[in-house]
Order: sequence, then structure tokens, then C-alpha cells
Amino acid sequence: MAGTEIGAAEIRALVQPDRVHRRLYIDPAIFELEMDRIFGRAWLYVAHESQLKAPGDFVRSRLGRYEVLVTRHKDGTLHALHNRCAHRGARICASPSGKRTSFVCPYHGWSFRGDGSLEAVPHRESYPEGFSLEEPRNRLAQAPRVASYRGFVFASLAPDGPSLGEHLGTMTDAFDNLIERAPGGEIEIAESVFTLEYPGNWKMHMENANDVFHPSFVHESSVATARAAPRQGSALDDDQTREMLFANNFTRREWENVELVGSEAGHSYMSGFYKSGILAPTEEDAVRAEYRACLARRHGEVRAAEILGLDRFNNLIYPNISVNAQYHQLRVVHPLAADRTLVTSYCFRLAGAPDGIFHRAVRFLTNLGSPASMIFSDDVEMFARCQSGLTSGAADWIDVERGFGRDRDFGPGLRIATASELPTRVQFAAWLRFMVDERLAGAGVRQAAQ
Amino acid sequence: MSSLRDHAPVDDPMTVGAERRHEIERFLFLEARLLDAGRFDEWLALFAPDAVYWVPSRPGQTDPRAVASIVYEDLPLLAMRVRRLTHPRAHVLAPMPRTTHLVTNVDVTALEPARRECTVESAFLMSEFREESRRVFSGRYSHILRLADGGFKIASKRVDLIDCDGVHQAMSIPF
Repeated sequence: MAGTEIGAAEIRALVQPDRVHRRLYIDPAIFELEMDRIFGRAWLYVAHESQLKAPGDFVRSRLGRYEVLVTRHKDGTLHALHNRCAHRGARICASPSGKRTSFVCPYHGWSFRGDGSLEAVPHRESYPEGFSLEEPRNRLAQAPRVASYRGFVFASLAPDGPSLGEHLGTMTDAFDNLIERAPGGEIEIAESVFTLEYPGNWKMHMENANDVFHPSFVHESSVATARAAPRQGSALDDDQTREMLFANNFTRREWENVELVGSEAGHSYMSGFYKSGILAPTEEDAVRAEYRACLARRHGEVRAAEILGLDRFNNLIYPNISVNAQYHQLRVVHPLAADRTLVTSYCFRLAGAPDGIFHRAVRFLTNLGSPASMIFSDDVEMFARCQSGLTSGAADWIDVERGFGRDRDFGPGLRIATASELPTRVQFAAWLRFMVDERLAGAGVRQAAQ
Repeated sequence: MSSLRDHAPVDDPMTVGAERRHEIERFLFLEARLLDAGRFDEWLALFAPDAVYWVPSRPGQTDPRAVASIVYEDLPLLAMRVRRLTHPRAHVLAPMPRTTHLVTNVDVTALEPARRECTVESAFLMSEFREESRRVFSGRYSHILRLADGGFKIASKRVDLIDCDGVHQAMSIPF
């Protein structure tokens, strides 16, 4: 592969503390290396266990470059199987999800169990004598590591490396908070999902998600629209849509007071910014009052207030997911090429919460995740414009120096700042570590079945 | 209102005469023409005050609250969408995409005389051009049209894209 010819020194020279080289976004060779060294090694979200409750349940997912079937085997273990027959390479399963005792290839009928092992082949007698169902090469290839954090299933294409817990670090807070918000103690991923493609690099989405400097400009049209619209105009959604459009109406000072926390691992989060309407943590209507009472019955008033009081917006977990615990949302960013990216957006149902709370999560998903979103569509237009601009060799560097040198310590491995591009800078620090760590890079993409 | 899907076309001339059918088609063509011309305020004015504009995200979706929709808006929300379309800094709309909305295979599939409403099903195709890209959306419309003051108003419009659950780039112009 051409990309592997790029040496560590060359890569290091592309990332400086306060600026990065445009090749990070446009160079196909860099992209291939990212797929090997970041997406070929990191823990990547692949499924939620509410999709895999019983043995035989499976869901089709993406893992870096590959399509995988995430399965619950009959012994209860989770597997991420490459959706490619071990025989002639056909894509085995065309269903997005379901329940199966075995996966039978439609081409020649090889059938595989939920752990990828070969169960049977037709015309067994026509194979040479040494042919064995148990031979490793006859299994479905699978991710060497699959692990779950409280129902969130991750897989890694590297056989070794940091554990999932080590990778997530203190970002487990985001999952904990999401689950604690459920009065029934469980969450379930909703049927609703949007997949949006944009003509830009995957990193742009991750950088934008905790960028407090863009909304005043990028979202001006939706803010102006919301400002001009009457309050409580709609009978459909308790004014949620208008409030969501209007939430970007912060003054410069307000944006500059949004706290941003970044970790050495490349993760980050920002404090919340919904200050009015039904999504504001400070306000309560009939639906929220009922919900708060449900939660207090489980946790007690004090703990319930703490859980609901955690006012964080996007929790970005490197390299490619964003968890919004407060509004029960999840986004997963899938790179397709240096200039093509998919964003998949999900929401969750909280067990034991009133239906109205779920309906608001669904509405949130529509307002921010739909391809017709009046907010997100303007973000992705900026990604497309950056991608287009960066193809120009008129200048090579991208500036990320806002707030540089003004971060403060915020506990082990954490830095905090306001009015800063700290979240973007920690992403590049993680990027560099993945891309030049020779020891880990050697692990590469190993698909061999274990 | 009876089921939108399970009815054969109502083409009994005693109920929907040729002249009425012609008026219905002309109305749908007017709607398409207003969208193509970027006359979004006039398009919005075709909707009744209690109207809903719905673009489901799942084939056959029946629940707009427990399942997310690409768009699910009543008139006040749709009015915001239209207002934003013409805002000078709606970036995804600069330059403004050009579209052609084709409406065909028009059938009146249900009548609700007491409400002076009829359900009209049709097939549509929307071709869009913006900067260097062209794309095509297609699917089916289901309009509920209400006779009021001698003309039609849209009491509801449902747009079922054939790829409603597929991968999409950002959408801007209404279907």
C-alpha cells in the first residue's frame, strides 16, 4: 500500500501544536494509513446490546474499512464477524439485523455459527480428505477483540493494545449518565436512525462537534428563523424545534464561557448550552416532572437531581463517536475516503421513563440528525467547503491556535478551557500517537480468525 | 378517512368527475411549479392552517412521534423551514439549488365528503442541481386535499421517498 511508505518523521511534521497540514484531510495515502493505524486498531463502537439480547441476535455494522456482523453466540459471547464467506468471499448476510442460529452463504451453502466457526459444508465428500471444518481458515474472519461497556459494544481489529476501559478512561461518565437517566436502569437503542453522507474528511465532523466558535456564523439562518417565529407556535413538539434552532443564539461572551474539557486520549466534552425551553435542564414541565418523579423513586431526590443536573453536550470519544447523554443521542462517524464520510445518528429509549421523554429524544434526533435538519445541513456544507478549499495548494496549514497555552489541569490526563480549540488539539495529539506509534502500528489490521 | 393504501382508485364519475380530477391535477402541478420557481411563500400558502407535512424515515412508517422522521412539521414549523430557505446565510442554500418536480400517476384514492376532503396519491420525481452536482429523488406523494372557498388547500402531505431509510446527503428544497 502506498500509504505505508510515509515515515514517522514525515507524519510528525504534519502536526504542530497550533496548526496542522492540509494533507491530513486530502491525501489518500494519509487516509489509508489512518484506516490502518487508527481505525485498524482503536476501539470502535459497533452495536448496542439492546440489539443483541438473545443468542442468535445479530446486527450488521461497520468496523473501520469493513462490514461486520455483530452477533450474540449461543454461549452468550459477542463477536464481530466479517461479512465475507470464508469459501469464495461472497457477502453472506444482506439483512441489517435479525436472529439466526447460523449464517448460510447464499452462494455454495457453507454455514457458520454465531462465533464464526464453520458448521457444515454441502457435498462434504467432494472435498479432499484433509479438509476440516475446524481449520482456522475455514472460519469467518473476526475482530480479535470485542468488549462491552454497560451495553455499548466496541470492537478492535488489533489483537492487543489498551483495554476498552483504558481507552474510555473517564469518558465512561457519559455512558453511566445516560444509563442512570433511565428510571428502569436500562436503555434501548431506538429503531430510528439517520445516515448522512458528506463530501468531506471524517475529522471535520469530530472537530466541529465541540467547536464553540462556529455556531454564530454557520447557524445564523436557523437562529434568525427561530427568533422571528412565535413562541409555542407549533402544536407538535412543545416548541422544542424552535428552541433547538434558537439555542445557537448565544452571544460571543456566552459561547466563550462554555467549558471544554479534553483528555490525553483525544476525548472531549463541552458543557451544555440549552438555557430555555423543554430541553433546558433548569426548566420543568408536566412531562419532565413525571420523569423526575420516576427517577427519584429509583435513586432518591438528591441523586436524581445530580443525574439530571449533569449538563454536558457532546461527549466525543476518539476517534469517531459522540455521546449526548442528556438528550439520549449517539453519533458514529465512518470514514469512507479522504473526502467522503458517513455520519450515523441514533437515539435511545430510557426504560421506565414517560413516553414523552422518548418522543423528545426522537424529535432531537430529527432536528439534528436528519439529512433535512435545518442545523446540521449548514454544518456539513462547511465541511464540504473546507474540503474544497483544502485541495488548493495556495497554503498548506490550518490554524487551530485559539486558546493555545491557556488550558488548565482538570484532573489526571484532563485539561479544561473556555474559548479554546482545545478539543481539536487533543484530537490531533491522539491522531499523532496512533499514526506514529511504531509498536502499535505493527499490530495493524489483522483479520485472521483467532 | 379510510385507509390511504388499500383502496382502488376512485374514478367513478359520479363521485370524482373528469373535471374535478383535472382540477386536482392542476393543483398538484401548481404546487410543483411553485417549488421549482422558488416561490416558497406561495407554496406554504397552499397548506391549510392545521396541515402536516411529513417525510417518513422508514417505509410504511405509521408513528411520527416514536420514530424519527426526515421531516415532520405542522404549519408553524414548516413556516420556519420556508423562512430559512430564503435567509441569505442559509449556507446549504447558497447557491440556491434548482429543481424540477414531476408529478404523475395521479389517483384519487379516498373521499371524505363530510370534511370536503379527498386523498390523492401520486408518483413524483424531483431532480436537483446545485453547483457541480445533480441528484434525483423519487417516491410517492399522498396528499389530503380539502375544498375551501372554491379552491383546494393541502390538509396533509406525506412524501414517501423510495430510499427514505437510505444514505442521504443534506436535503434542502422541499419535495
